[in-house]
Amino acid sequence: MLNRASRMRHSLIIAWSVAVVIFLYIPTVCIVLASLTASRYFQFPISKWGLDWWTKTLTSIEVRQLLTTSITIALLVTVVAVFLAFFGALAFARHDWKGRSVYQKIILLPIFFPQSVLGLALLLWFNTLGLPLSWKTAVFAHLVWIVPVVTLVISIQVYSFDPALEEAAYDLGASRWQVLKEVTLPVLFPGLFSGSLFAFLLSWGNFPLSLYTTGADTTVPEYLYAKMVAGYTPGVPVLGTISTAGAVVLLIGGYALITLLRRTRSTEQGGQDA
Amino acid sequence: MTDSTPILSLKSVRKMFGPYAAVDDIDIDISEGEFFTIVGPSGSGKTTLLRMLAGMDQPTSGDIMLRGERINDIPANKRPTCMVFQSLALFPHRTVGQNIEFPLKIRGEDPERRKARALQLMALLRLPEHYYAKNVMKCSGGERQRVALARALAYDPQILFFDEPLSAIDYKLRKTLEKELKDIHRETKKTFIYITHSLEEAMVMSDRIGVMRAGKLVQVGTPHQIYTSPTTRFVSEFVGDVNVIPVSLGARGSLRMAENGRELKPPKLPAGFGNGYLVVRPEYIRFLDKAGDADNAVEGKLYNEYALGSRIQYQVRVGDAVFVVEKLRQQPFSGKLDDKVIIGWDAKDAILVTD
Repeated sequence: MLNRASRMRHSLIIAWSVAVVIFLYIPTVCIVLASLTASRYFQFPISKWGLDWWTKTLTSIEVRQLLTTSITIALLVTVVAVFLAFFGALAFARHDWKGRSVYQKIILLPIFFPQSVLGLALLLWFNTLGLPLSWKTAVFAHLVWIVPVVTLVISIQVYSFDPALEEAAYDLGASRWQVLKEVTLPVLFPGLFSGSLFAFLLSWGNFPLSLYTTGADTTVPEYLYAKMVAGYTPGVPVLGTISTAGAVVLLIGGYALITLLRRTRSTEQGGQDA
Repeated sequence: MTDSTPILSLKSVRKMFGPYAAVDDIDIDISEGEFFTIVGPSGSGKTTLLRMLAGMDQPTSGDIMLRGERINDIPANKRPTCMVFQSLALFPHRTVGQNIEFPLKIRGEDPERRKARALQLMALLRLPEHYYAKNVMKCSGGERQRVALARALAYDPQILFFDEPLSAIDYKLRKTLEKELKDIHRETKKTFIYITHSLEEAMVMSDRIGVMRAGKLVQVGTPHQIYTSPTTRFVSEFVGDVNVIPVSLGARGSLRMAENGRELKPPKLPAGFGNGYLVVRPEYIRFLDKAGDADNAVEGKLYNEYALGSRIQYQVRVGDAVFVVEKLRQQPFSGKLDDKVIIGWDAKDAILVTD
């Protein structure tokens, strides 16, 4: 009786989980399907399959330009955001100082601002300051929103960091710089790594901030939107698929790297005891 | 203890946090090679004191002298002292070997000599040689203790500080490690300064013990002195169970129990004694056949018994007062619960203390 009830419960859990996964991933799969059509227009079900639009997109100079712009912005945002967020996270979670709780709230606030309003506000400022809009201003705009997110991500790692590690290294003769290089940075590395993944991917996929601040330059999400509004070709789902696949590859690669690192760390020739 | 010049001298050391003195006017001299333990309940200022000695905090006033030189302003990384932390603070991303070699690497020694020294220290601390390449987080609690101690010894400090490193370890292992630490102290002949909240732990290991209370050092002495001649009720109650009887000076130099006015034969009375507490350790109280068999005797009811291993402890109720009595297991005794018993002690076995 009990066994049957628990088997019943188990199959219901599986059914539910499968339903959720399908619900989450079907739209993305549809984009891939839409990119595989041979016809000029979007229609479903697809009558004629083909890879023509993939060839066209991959050889297009315009698309290469879009990818270059998006990658440049995302890479710059990653470097600057991780640098700022590392020190921000130390102030957030490692050190106790007067005003810390106010700082913690203020630094996180931009995450919850509507991004379209944030983009507009930044646009007004860039105009007031006389800064010409380009991918460079977009880097700045992305940072305003992404630095708080990355600060939060790294802070989580910093919270589990035992401050006595730094004191011990210092007590054993290390200078402040050696403490940072030998202890703080390596111990916090997993946090810094996931922080940089967050930074890159959030910038890579960002639309509202880019829309206001890139000026004449165009990022991949902006292009996708513009083409959907006017001038749709199946090149849009192709580029969309490429953009999503890039993010997935980066995530899986990052996860594999971290797992590998953790494994080498924990076994480091020390397998004899196993 | 040696009688040479002290390796470490504290002169009126004080640390203020706002208006509150965490460490209040402490003077001690610690001799070369001594195992000195500072004991106190949490909040007594012992950790603050140790952090000042290690150079992680600066005293508000007073001087810390190392071999006669003032070291107040020398930061922790420049002091020839080293600390074993409560959390041990082992570097989780490093192997056992890399942890032990850390201070040598910082000093710029070449890898071969580092490794040789690490293996030497691992042998001293009975860590198997193949642990050299083992991830430190995969070691057991006791092994981690040894790695932390080896790393501190690799620094070759003149003084080693210990900030309650055994407090998070289970009882049996702790007892083993206490003895091991004392053995290491003998072998290395270094000066150890240890802090703990457990006087029992301090007793096992120390040459001398300083008891701290509310930022002040209330008594300093050998474990024997602390156990047999506490000067205050606070110190006497710090180790094990103890009978504390409030008394005042009675007629003709006797003591009067505050509770019921009964007259007791006192130990040697200090000059000008008015009132205080009579402390009798449970092992000095014995069951008597008749009241005349000891200097002081009271009659009560055997209320409960507790087996403590080699000893048995009894609770005897005398009116509202509770006495704790202990005897060795092999000593014959036929009393049953609720029996009427006479217990007593000799005047010389009791200690008079103030609050």
